[in-house]
Amino acid sequence: MPRLNKRTSYYALLLPALIIYLAIIIFPIFMSLGLSFTEWRRFRMVGFNGIDNYIQILSDPVFHRSLWNNVQIMLISVLGQIPLGILLAYLLHRKWVKGTKFFEFMIFLPITISSVVIALLWNRVFSPVGIYTTFVRMATNNPDYIVRIFESEKYAMIPVLVVLLWQHTSLYMVIFLANLQRIPSSVFEAALIDGAKESTTIFKIVLPALSPVIFTCSVLAISGSLKSFDLVYAMTAGGPVNYTYVMALYLYQHTFTFHNYGKGSAVSIVIVILSVGLISLVRAIYGKAQKKFE
Amino acid sequence: MSRRDQTINAKWTAISYIFLILFTLITIMPVVWMLYSSFKPMGEIMLHPLRLPKAPTLDNYRKAFQYGNLIVSFLNSVFYSATATVSTVFLALAGGFALTKFGYTSSKVYFSLFTLGLLITVNSVITPLFIMETKVGLYNTRLGVILPYIAFGLPMAILLSTSYVRGIPDALIEAAVIDGAGYIQIFFKIILIVSTPVLATMAILNFLGNWNEFLMVFTLTSGENMRSLPVAINSFAGRLNEDYGLQFAALVVGTIPMFVLYLVAHESVIKGFGEGALKE
Repeated sequence: MPRLNKRTSYYALLLPALIIYLAIIIFPIFMSLGLSFTEWRRFRMVGFNGIDNYIQILSDPVFHRSLWNNVQIMLISVLGQIPLGILLAYLLHRKWVKGTKFFEFMIFLPITISSVVIALLWNRVFSPVGIYTTFVRMATNNPDYIVRIFESEKYAMIPVLVVLLWQHTSLYMVIFLANLQRIPSSVFEAALIDGAKESTTIFKIVLPALSPVIFTCSVLAISGSLKSFDLVYAMTAGGPVNYTYVMALYLYQHTFTFHNYGKGSAVSIVIVILSVGLISLVRAIYGKAQKKFE
Repeated sequence: MSRRDQTINAKWTAISYIFLILFTLITIMPVVWMLYSSFKPMGEIMLHPLRLPKAPTLDNYRKAFQYGNLIVSFLNSVFYSATATVSTVFLALAGGFALTKFGYTSSKVYFSLFTLGLLITVNSVITPLFIMETKVGLYNTRLGVILPYIAFGLPMAILLSTSYVRGIPDALIEAAVIDGAGYIQIFFKIILIVSTPVLATMAILNFLGNWNEFLMVFTLTSGENMRSLPVAINSFAGRLNEDYGLQFAALVVGTIPMFVLYLVAHESVIKGFGEGALKE
């Protein structure tokens, strides 16, 4: 092997990763921005149309519904998955129960299953021959019960949200558990000797110690919820009508069904802007909260 | 321990059991139900949805493999995930070494550029990526799937590798330089060897992410022989709204490979996710 000097070695090690990354992620972001100002007809670009694509998207009721559904996913992620993840992690960490390893194994299992399998499996669970339906029939003594919530314009997202809660809570649980283990056990013992209540320990010691992790997890939850596609696509494909549409599905439809790459790109830019905006907001809130603690 | 402490502990033990058992049941029940239902013919599922199979049959599996093209998809998944994972992990470690141990000021810029990628999701680039791949002839090729897999794996892998390589003592590298070793040699003979723990973490997270990825294969390929397992299962099992038994069999086939891996390596999987993995 020829001996390379320091700077050549530096680039030999760095460039392969950097080039692939720039070509596939950074360059397309700018291309997306450019495309979002173009008009497409029948697979062809026919010229620039300024911010027309954005105006069309932002005035489209289907997009409004998609956005609202994404907001619901975001709320269930940040206010559902994260707190539940903290709770489960804490219960496991304090080892009040036997078999914590078993519970950890079982609760984390959904992470290894692909969203497509999860979606189709839960569709069966809620179907007329599903476990859920059968249990409700037995419990209510109504043999004709079927799950109708999917058809409701207002509540069609609920089954999707329930499944998302089930699917991702354990991810946060595992992250929080790993970080709880970094808090020295003497801290817990000292608090307990002082006669602190469990709730005091949680709010005065555990949550402040975890706050950087909670912040990181919130950022993840937000960017994750804005991109949700797989589960929704396989579970409902946005239907019935467009009750369960999300922004990524809206984008998919414009790019891959209508081949309107201008509009598709505009949707992705809107998603990027929302994601950056929301994450900056969370960062600002976190910064303020930190100052308060100090 | 005082009596008061004991009652408090008993209370928390009860709360813990309730929550943990509830969560475990919500996971076990659908999965176990899926498993045994896959051995039941359609008629039996309709009549007795919850009952264990009376005469277990492999018929559903036979049909699923026959019509679903599942073997090809399984092999594709193995190929996509393994190739992309090995490349990502290797490139990320090389990059991580360059960014931490060379002391160039440009490293900071490159590093922030990579961390920016953590916030960029597949759907913000999928439209231009589709156009680019069509233009250069990568659309519907295996390379056209693997390259984006590598690119999207890099930000997290670079984050993990830089934080690990930063912890490797500089003295180790300086000593090798004094002995006349080149930096490339140092990478292969020292960095690659001492980084085994972080390589494992990166590989596990990456492999799992790639294995379950859906959108890129779904949009960047069109041929049935190019599909990965999730895409094949979606198009095959998604259509089977009339034959539940067959659908369950396909879902089980989609679950088993990762389940086996998880069974064998769950400690590392859980540790990997807890430490770094914040990949969705």
